Amino acid sequence: MPETPEKFETIAEMEAEARPGREGEPHGDDSLMGRFDRWGLRRFSGWDAVKAVALTTFLLLIFAGGSIRAAADELKPGLGRDIVKAIGEPAGWVADQLPFAGTRRDLTSWLSPNQELSGRGFRAGPGGAGRPAHPVPTTPQPLDRLLVTGDSLSTPLDIQIARKLADQGAGVQVTRDPHLATGISNTGLVDWGQLSSSQAANDDPDAVVLFIGANEGYSMPGPNGAQVSCCGPAWEAIFESRVGQMMDNYLNGGVERIYWLTIPTQRDPARKPIADDVNQAIRQAAASRGAAVRVIDLIPTFTPGDTYRDSIDIDGKQTIVRESDGIHLNEDGSSVAADLVLGALAKDFNY
Amino acid sequence: MATATASPIRTLTPVLFPTVEFAIFFPIVLALSWALMPRQQVWKPFIVVASYVFYAAADPRFCLLLAAITLVSQLAVVAIHRTEDERLRKWFTAGGVVFDLGILAVFKYYGFFVSDVSDVLNSIGLGMPLPLVTIALPVGVSFFSFQAVTYVVDVKRRQTEPASLLDAAIYLSFFPHLVAGPIVRASEFLPQLKTPRDPDRVAVGAGLTLIALGLIKKVMIADYLAREVVDKVFAVPQAYSAPDAILGAYAYAAQIFCDFSGYTDMAIGLALLMGFVFPQNFNSPYRATGFRDFWRRWHMTLSRFLRDYLYIPLGGNRKGRVRTYVNLMLTMALGGLWHGAAWNFVAWGAYQGTGLSAEHAIDGRLGRIFPGWLRWFVTFNLIVLGWILFRSTDLTVFGDYMSALVRSGPATLYSVPVVGAIALVVGLQLLPERPMEGIELRIGRLRPLLLGAALALVVLIVGATVPSQGVPPFIYFRF
Repeated sequence: MPETPEKFETIAEMEAEARPGREGEPHGDDSLMGRFDRWGLRRFSGWDAVKAVALTTFLLLIFAGGSIRAAADELKPGLGRDIVKAIGEPAGWVADQLPFAGTRRDLTSWLSPNQELSGRGFRAGPGGAGRPAHPVPTTPQPLDRLLVTGDSLSTPLDIQIARKLADQGAGVQVTRDPHLATGISNTGLVDWGQLSSSQAANDDPDAVVLFIGANEGYSMPGPNGAQVSCCGPAWEAIFESRVGQMMDNYLNGGVERIYWLTIPTQRDPARKPIADDVNQAIRQAAASRGAAVRVIDLIPTFTPGDTYRDSIDIDGKQTIVRESDGIHLNEDGSSVAADLVLGALAKDFNY
Repeated sequence: MATATASPIRTLTPVLFPTVEFAIFFPIVLALSWALMPRQQVWKPFIVVASYVFYAAADPRFCLLLAAITLVSQLAVVAIHRTEDERLRKWFTAGGVVFDLGILAVFKYYGFFVSDVSDVLNSIGLGMPLPLVTIALPVGVSFFSFQAVTYVVDVKRRQTEPASLLDAAIYLSFFPHLVAGPIVRASEFLPQLKTPRDPDRVAVGAGLTLIALGLIKKVMIADYLAREVVDKVFAVPQAYSAPDAILGAYAYAAQIFCDFSGYTDMAIGLALLMGFVFPQNFNSPYRATGFRDFWRRWHMTLSRFLRDYLYIPLGGNRKGRVRTYVNLMLTMALGGLWHGAAWNFVAWGAYQGTGLSAEHAIDGRLGRIFPGWLRWFVTFNLIVLGWILFRSTDLTVFGDYMSALVRSGPATLYSVPVVGAIALVVGLQLLPERPMEGIELRIGRLRPLLLGAALALVVLIVGATVPSQGVPPFIYFRF
């Protein structure tokens, strides 16, 4: 490491001496590599660094050990998750036995940007088939407020819908509320049962557009309390029940109509059983709620024949519509999906 | 809480510094690193494995790419070093650089080429059929491919000696700088591998302070401004009018500084705790009084890369005035394209090139005519204007944003914390350097255990401000 003469007392002075390197000469110190050698900077040992970081880690364990346990549940399965879980379980247990975590929550909860969710979360029970369909107006109603929500699938769809409506000068207030990395089958980050009730109450939308399903496949408790694994009829029935509860929460909260998008086929074949169950559950739950819930099926548009493809024909030109992960729609794809949503909205609302 | 089965699939996210996974990874690696440091033959393979484990968290397949760049660069460097024939040295250099940049081109620009560039080529009858497929962008490829280029070129220029394959692997994969820089030159890093790091000269205070500062910048300021203002206004500029659009532009200027310099602070701090020094990457960029001054302060390691490996080889300012402007424009346009495969980045680079060229044309006269505060005011606002182009997802959005800037209407996004955060970010950079450095030095002199406890407090406070979906990726991760 180049030594910096102590005559440089400020970075500005050092920078004035900096110069680019020339052929056959070393680079000048234009990167200020010697800045930590300035006069007065105290040095410690490597083990002091280890001890300091160990103390930080220890304090975090006793004050927020439960967070590590919770984080493990949100990770994708694999070695990393197993390691975090192996540390998170005992750390969470220790934190639970001590008063520090509660104190921390009391002192810092006011800083949280997360909205307080109230009301009942998902409950085990029948999917609602056979219940009376929600009544809907027979003539198109004005559309003043639109909520676009879901997981990461819902963005940039939400932006595209908002832009297109703004370009039309429709005067529709669009609330975009994506909850990345969340899932209906996993209530670890957010319980969509609670969230749907809160959204209906707080945002008071006339209509809701939902696009969710990138993070599904988690086991869920069945009616008897036992965990039911994905995939299959039993898991699908529980998922349908949860989707139905969300639909009811919106409709009972004053939403006139729901537009629920299905998941287009994904590149990874391992995802297909999950997507098939999710899409089937959406269709079933919507069918029992009549015209109040419209399913916008994206498969015929993006993956005809249930076959994955990166690009589709848009206005006579092959255009890439998927992100490189083979899951999400990109800007162009979201624009196409937004057109489908707006087409459906135009049949039911005046704007 | 539901438990995961064997099959749920979550979206892949790379290991970020402010995550639980990293909080487990780093203390273990740090302790083992100092334990093994005296035995370099063990420490070196260990740190390579640790860095590859860190990188594999994003996608294990990308480790092959990193290994390929390392191997090919090392082969090129050894071949260059073994011959005195200048023609051969040039060919080997070109081979190494083409491979390193070829990887970058395929993974980062293929989609841009087949969609946008091929449209242009088709319109003039030069189109070629290429398969329309999406290719995943390996995180950090823009950074480690550039570092590989500096290694090959510096050996060719005899500015650094070739390293062993193991040292080259550490240089390119060292996890604190792997995914978003700073872009460390081979000549800065490789000498630090020649001898074990001195275990009695570790800047623990500075390291811990930088980590805490980086966390605050990223999570408490950058993410907050993004959530409250920037993401809203830039998503649908048509829905906002001038007061909010102006706020959005200043908020983004503060956000991108805190996001990227916050990452850099953490990277430099982590490296310091391990005994390594990285180059400085930011030096109060918003106190710049001109474009040239700005680029000496903003993303300094990219600026000097562009200068040393692009601008100067193009001829720099040695071939006449017109050629200087052409070189500046080309350098900055390519520098813009490095940030992302989209026309708005090219346009942003050209905008910066225009600013630099204009400044070059009136060199010296500005200082005589205008007072410093006015030059600062104009520079700062021109830089902010450039950020609008940078942040817009395409040129249509940029057009919409510019329209919003002149549309009258209500201010809906102003709040004391938002305005305060922007004022804090800009204002601190305008303060005299010496007092700020004095504060940093005084904090750095505190006992490590006290700073360790303070870091825990900062993490707990910062952690309370994280939204339920977690910390968004750093802006520069996608570059």
